[in-house]
Amino acid sequence: MNYGGFAGKVLLVDLTSKEITQEPLDMQLAVKFIGGLGLTLKLAYDNITPGAGALEPENIIAIGAGPLVGTGFPSTSRVFAVSKLPSSDTIGWCGAGGADFGCQLKNTGFDHIIIKGRADKPVFLKIIDDQAEICDADDLWGRGVEETSLDLWNRVARPAGVISIGQGGENLSTFSMAFIDRISTLGRGGLGAVFGSKNLKAILVKGSQGIQVADRKEYKRLHKELTREIRDYPYLKEWQDQGMLKSFPIVPMETYDKIKKRHVACVSCPFGCKDIVEIKDGEYKGQVICSSSAINLFTPQIYGIKDYRESIKLVSILDSFGLDFFEFFAVITFAMKLVEKGVIRKELADPEIKLDSFESMKIWATKTALRQGLGDVLAGGFKGMIQEFGEESTQYAPAMIKGIHPYAGPGSALPWSLFGTMELGQVLDPRGPHVGSGGSPTYFAKRPLDVFYKHFQRMGIPGEAVERILTAEESDESEKSLKVGTLLKYSHSWFSTLGSIGICARAQVNRFYSAELCADIYQAVTGIETSLDQLRERVDRVWTLYRLMNLRENLPRETDQPLPERWFKADGFKEYVSEKPLSPEDVRQMIEDYYAEWGWDRITGEPSPAILEKLGLV
Amino acid sequence: MGKYKIDVTEENCTFCLRCQLGCSDAYFKSFNQNNARIRVKTTGLDCTISFTDECRKCGICAENCFFGVLQKTSMEETV
Repeated sequence: MNYGGFAGKVLLVDLTSKEITQEPLDMQLAVKFIGGLGLTLKLAYDNITPGAGALEPENIIAIGAGPLVGTGFPSTSRVFAVSKLPSSDTIGWCGAGGADFGCQLKNTGFDHIIIKGRADKPVFLKIIDDQAEICDADDLWGRGVEETSLDLWNRVARPAGVISIGQGGENLSTFSMAFIDRISTLGRGGLGAVFGSKNLKAILVKGSQGIQVADRKEYKRLHKELTREIRDYPYLKEWQDQGMLKSFPIVPMETYDKIKKRHVACVSCPFGCKDIVEIKDGEYKGQVICSSSAINLFTPQIYGIKDYRESIKLVSILDSFGLDFFEFFAVITFAMKLVEKGVIRKELADPEIKLDSFESMKIWATKTALRQGLGDVLAGGFKGMIQEFGEESTQYAPAMIKGIHPYAGPGSALPWSLFGTMELGQVLDPRGPHVGSGGSPTYFAKRPLDVFYKHFQRMGIPGEAVERILTAEESDESEKSLKVGTLLKYSHSWFSTLGSIGICARAQVNRFYSAELCADIYQAVTGIETSLDQLRERVDRVWTLYRLMNLRENLPRETDQPLPERWFKADGFKEYVSEKPLSPEDVRQMIEDYYAEWGWDRITGEPSPAILEKLGLV
Repeated sequence: MGKYKIDVTEENCTFCLRCQLGCSDAYFKSFNQNNARIRVKTTGLDCTISFTDECRKCGICAENCFFGVLQKTSMEETV
């Protein structure tokens, strides 16, 4: 049978032996693991040498795009990379949209790329249709993300997709990222360093194959219905005008309007929440800067940079180095504290670390990316710093989970204080803290509980589970409480659904999708029979495999891990509904609830043999 | 002469490629921006939009546009 949606092949690249091979996509696996995120995780599971260090040649980078990517269905551009990440030492997903990459990857005829080994000198991988080549990258090494992307685009006519790292990745910073089409980030955890450890500067893809769908009539019907709903959405224009600032208005809209030059959309997206801005005055007048989100550009203001133009410039410098600015600020704050406490000698911190000084931050960003002086230690992230300054230094560290700073929470960049699925998700995603997988449906807003029912239905949560999520005392049916741990199981399932098919998980997009629609569109595109129940089972298989592959890497059980003390101080997290102060015991109970809802052991978090058998993972 | 007149406002373009994907699927039964009869040439910062000689101005590109870049007007209305 000819399946639609899939490009049909997997590319395997061994950078050590320089051997490049192609294999047909195993459609039995594709059916079992859906595609996109699910299939990329499966390929990683099968190809990573268990126990290999993140920066060792035995680690792999598996990349993939789901069956909807490139079809034009709204907001279907997602690309996933799965690898062992140096910050957390766990296997994690990194996901992003992008201007061209996902679409162009599929057009080359490959749904997935698996990269292993280590090149003996800097290289980039060039894939033009089905011809893949390992190319010399001496002239790209040492250059920033934007420069590298533009250079590669100049070598082949656009449309073409580029994944690139900056100097942060080259120098193995554990919080370096890889960028898709210079604007979308494969971030949090240090994927950039994995590229760097392989001497892999970039991947360039350009193809002409095209993607067909299996059932055109049904595809068109579903597409028409969904696009009509999006056009009728009363807030569409606001989302298009304000981008991500609509969900988190970090600066006055007048400031944003002043610099806004153009919105950029990932392939097929009707919202277009990425930004091109232009600084209109001051020292950086005329500079045009691309960003994954305007929120990012203004975040240094939360840390004290007063001039928004300097804030934008600083983020563009960090982006160019390919460094995760959330983690950079967490690490530099830690370093500043250690200087204050005398753990780091003052003369080593030259210039003085001042979070509110653009000049100081600019120099420290450079020293970190290039591993100069104390920057060499900072580039190692929390893990490197604790190794250097001793376990006792952790008392001065900002919140930390699995070696990464959870940036949503009290005392963090996004100082939201209610503890919903997104916040608990920072503890329970094996990759370490990321707001992507646990966001739905709580996000950054207190919602009345009545609103949740429609989201539960949309996310495909079975009716019988709803009673476990929204519980009431027998004495008072009106006083319901939200079991965040139980609900997070379904947030992760929903994220796996969207990611495996290829849909963006951002709130403004995913609100238009339901699990039922996902099953229908997946079936229409691929031709693979998919009921809602079948989709649920495949999604459970995906996330359970993700858990298993990390247990294989000795993932510590979350119930045993220290939780950030900062979360439980007087102005710490509050329970989502009652807004009572949250305790570590509350969170531990949520973790157990989460395990139990998956059918995993309540204490160890290990999937039971019965569950593994049911999901075909034995 | 095509069915519609297509007005183009390039500065609104977000490079989402919905126009090209819709066009290529309509005429080639395959989503492939290389085959589209509307061309979006972008540097990543700006773009120029043009139509190939084969373009019949059927309006599918405009129907797929969400950003007001492509507006179709029936040729009868323009007379």
